[in-house]
Amino acid sequence: MAKEILVHLQDVTKTYIMGEVSVEALKATSLDILAGEVLVILGPSGSGKSTLLNLIGGMDRLTSGELFFRQQALHSASNSELTQYRRDHIGFVFQFYNLISDLTSYENVELAASLVDDPLSSAEVLEQVGLQERLDHFPAQLSGGEQQRISIARAIVKRPLILLCDEPTGALDYQTGKTILELLLEVNLRHGSTVVIVTHNAAIGAIGDRVIRMSSGRIAEIQINASRATPEGIEW
Amino acid sequence: MKVLYRKLRRGIWSNRGQFFAMALVITIGISLYVAMSNTFSNLGYAQESFYNDNNFADHYFHVVHAPEAVAKQIASIPGVEKVTARIQQDVAVIKADGTRASARLTSYPLPLAEQVNSVALKQGRLFEAYPANGGAEALVDPSYLQANGLNLGENVEIIAEGRQIPLTVVGTAIGPEFVYAIKDLSSMVPDPKTFGIFMIPLNQAQEAFNLPGQINQILVVFTPGADTEAIISHIQDLLSPYGNLASYPRKDQLSHSLLDAELTSGRIMARFFPIIFLAIAAGIQIVLLRRMVRMQRLQIGIMKGLGFSNAAVLFHYSSYALAVCMIGALCGSVLGLLFSQSLNQLYATYFNLPNVEGYHYQVITYSFLLAAAVGMVAGLSGSAPIVNINPAESMRSQPPSKSAHNILERLPSLWQSLSPLWKMSFRSVARNRMRTLVTVGGVVAAVSLLLISFFMNDAIDYMMKQYYQKEMLYDYMVRFDQPVRSSELLAISRMDGVNQVEAFIEIPVKIHYNGRTVEDAVNGQAEGNRLKTPFDSEGNPMAIPEQGIILGEITARKLGAEPGDLITVETTLNRGEPIITELTVVSINRQLLGSVCYTSLAQANRLLHEADVVSGCMLLVDPGHSSTIEAQLSDITGINSIASRQKEIDNITSLLDSSMLFVGIMIFFSLILGLAIIYNSIVMSYNERKKELASLLTMGFTHTEVSGLMLKDTLIQAVPGLIIGLPTGRWLAVVYISSVSTDMFTFPVIISPVSYVLSLLVGLGFVLAGYWLATRGLSSLDMIEMSKYVD
Repeated sequence: MAKEILVHLQDVTKTYIMGEVSVEALKATSLDILAGEVLVILGPSGSGKSTLLNLIGGMDRLTSGELFFRQQALHSASNSELTQYRRDHIGFVFQFYNLISDLTSYENVELAASLVDDPLSSAEVLEQVGLQERLDHFPAQLSGGEQQRISIARAIVKRPLILLCDEPTGALDYQTGKTILELLLEVNLRHGSTVVIVTHNAAIGAIGDRVIRMSSGRIAEIQINASRATPEGIEW
Repeated sequence: MKVLYRKLRRGIWSNRGQFFAMALVITIGISLYVAMSNTFSNLGYAQESFYNDNNFADHYFHVVHAPEAVAKQIASIPGVEKVTARIQQDVAVIKADGTRASARLTSYPLPLAEQVNSVALKQGRLFEAYPANGGAEALVDPSYLQANGLNLGENVEIIAEGRQIPLTVVGTAIGPEFVYAIKDLSSMVPDPKTFGIFMIPLNQAQEAFNLPGQINQILVVFTPGADTEAIISHIQDLLSPYGNLASYPRKDQLSHSLLDAELTSGRIMARFFPIIFLAIAAGIQIVLLRRMVRMQRLQIGIMKGLGFSNAAVLFHYSSYALAVCMIGALCGSVLGLLFSQSLNQLYATYFNLPNVEGYHYQVITYSFLLAAAVGMVAGLSGSAPIVNINPAESMRSQPPSKSAHNILERLPSLWQSLSPLWKMSFRSVARNRMRTLVTVGGVVAAVSLLLISFFMNDAIDYMMKQYYQKEMLYDYMVRFDQPVRSSELLAISRMDGVNQVEAFIEIPVKIHYNGRTVEDAVNGQAEGNRLKTPFDSEGNPMAIPEQGIILGEITARKLGAEPGDLITVETTLNRGEPIITELTVVSINRQLLGSVCYTSLAQANRLLHEADVVSGCMLLVDPGHSSTIEAQLSDITGINSIASRQKEIDNITSLLDSSMLFVGIMIFFSLILGLAIIYNSIVMSYNERKKELASLLTMGFTHTEVSGLMLKDTLIQAVPGLIIGLPTGRWLAVVYISSVSTDMFTFPVIISPVSYVLSLLVGLGFVLAGYWLATRGLSSLDMIEMSKYVD
């Protein structure tokens, strides 16, 4: 059975006006994102991969083209519709975790849970990411890897359809980076969320169902992996 | 160093909202300091030089009458530098339109210049003892001349010894004893329409009062260092054959004591108000600089790495505070001098003092030194953490801010019921202790100032209500030249439109108790009188006792007398021998201004060994007949004064407009203080938490929810501030009133519930306005940029 198309991009461009210069960060890009897949977007700095992620996540508005989430036209959505879209369907994981320093691990997750009607149990999610012993700790009391796990827990507690991860291992050491990737794959398997990982680390491409290589604001290549590698099995 | 200066300029510009708010608070603090210090210096200098130039008396002696020659005897006492013997008497004045006024007719031996309590000519010329064309010449005080539309060369008509005597006004003059020209303490403010100072040569006064070669007052200036107590008692011995009516030092002279009270309260305010504003400004600056140092850790590390010394970097960051303070000092000084001009004019309407003007360079110097001190203290303590920044460490990214569990978490059921957003706010407020403290302190200060401002309004309101709606209910109060038979009142009660006449007698007395003596007046009220009522300290009306006496609170305190004590009352009417009677103190009454002791009319008569005399009456009249009744009363020569309650109220109300302006300015300044503190606090919190706020937006929180978080932060700090501000404001009002209370003036701190509510509402207003100003940028918060931002 063909997988459902969750997000559809048609000839999407994004141009930033910076003073007197306009920079075309994304050029006529078309792409479908499928339910339940792990999609890895690879590319060097300035290739447009983060711009693409931000557009998919409803954090930014496109300059031209069309962007649909299922039947919802995100290219013409109002600000409050975009907010509702992020609230209901999107989970974000950032390179620098972006946790709330004044909330404990548990409360950071609860914060996200409070946004939706039927969240997962915060305690269970934290157990899944292996932090059941650290519920009462503040971000400043946790290591980078632990903070990133909280950030994943925070993202998945809302039961998002799509988990968007921007350089999730960028600030972590090699071994910790691998455990975070394992966690993301586990989320994909256990909850069926679509996982989109943006990274400049080409080795990570192997863990995805599909790999998109970006260059100068365009999709240069879409590669379909016959099977997904485990993070344990990749090296960088 | 030019580069550092440029960095300073840009730093201030990029945080211009916050620095502007601080400069505004400092401007207000400095302008209050400059305005009040300059004005009260002017007032103080004017008082001192006016007193010196006109030989202001150190001591006053009143007698029934004594031969002029007694002055020479007194002058020969060692330690007495100057003596003036004169006649001073309050007289009735018949104005051109037939209505009554009263005047303090004061006489002067000639030549005038060397006399004690001499006068300064303002217009026209001095009087002559024997004018070429006969008659008598007078100087009047400029306020009376102006208020009554008189011109030089015109006559004023006085009644003395039952005769109408014209005096030709040849000039206007002011004297050191008439700086605050009120008739007695019962008049709250000067009313130049109905009370004037008339100055004439001594020989003319002797003729008018039929006292040839006699005087009734001795004024003395002591040589510096003289044993004044011994001299006073010596003079009292000399004067005893002539009926010692009163003897009091300069500090008890009516005008002087009121001017001194104004100076004292002014000097207290000149310190008190600026300190509040400058302390809050210093607090905000410390917090702001600490934040700046934290944010610019990397830059500081680089500067140090390049070879800048700790001291150089410290000075650079301190100069942010210093620069803002100097801008505040400059603007505040200019604004303060402008305010001072208005204040000088305001005081000129109350006080007859020459030369209440000028700018004192030392006030400006002090204001800059004060601002510099605030800037340096705030700058150095704000930048102190610079010393601990290690160049190498500064290059590494900082871990998330250290949060901690707070006190509310000790109540788990309460804490658990809070939403994560409330938890965030409580923790953030608890984490930024210094900022929270400054914000709460600032709100407390602003709300207290608001309450004090409203209290000033309440105080005036209370005074007017207490005085004119509770204590005095008559339409007119009529006083005779001297006590008369009560049957004399019949003529008044028969006038058309007079609905009620209540008789009273006022007797000047000395009250002795326990070796102490206080000069006062006994007010004898006829049985059943209800137009003038004494009140106790709780604000309850008191019944007049048939026997015994109700003592005024101030007199009772001075004497140390309490209900049940037996006191000795000695009459000091300027006729006949003093009569001494013992009376029991029945109770104590509270009078806002001055002191009045009450007894029954019958008891007061017994004090004089009389049976049926009165010295005045109070009337209730039909409003439609007021002017005809006033005109008829004015025709009775034996009447010394006719006071209209409505005219007194109108006069006070017109003078209060300027006080209301002051209250308005204080409310405005309090608002600015509150607004500045809330604005700065939210902007700091907003700048620090931008990344977190962006991350909330990313998660799917709406802008309203995120700005609601900022509102929660604000309210957690502002609400305790608003609440604590109310009792603090009340406490400050009590401290203020007790520091300005004198023997003649005291005031209960009564703040109306409306003032509390208004202070809270205005407080809430500046909180919400500050919040709105500070969170306008929230809608343009860039989620993408913030999500990549590294601390």
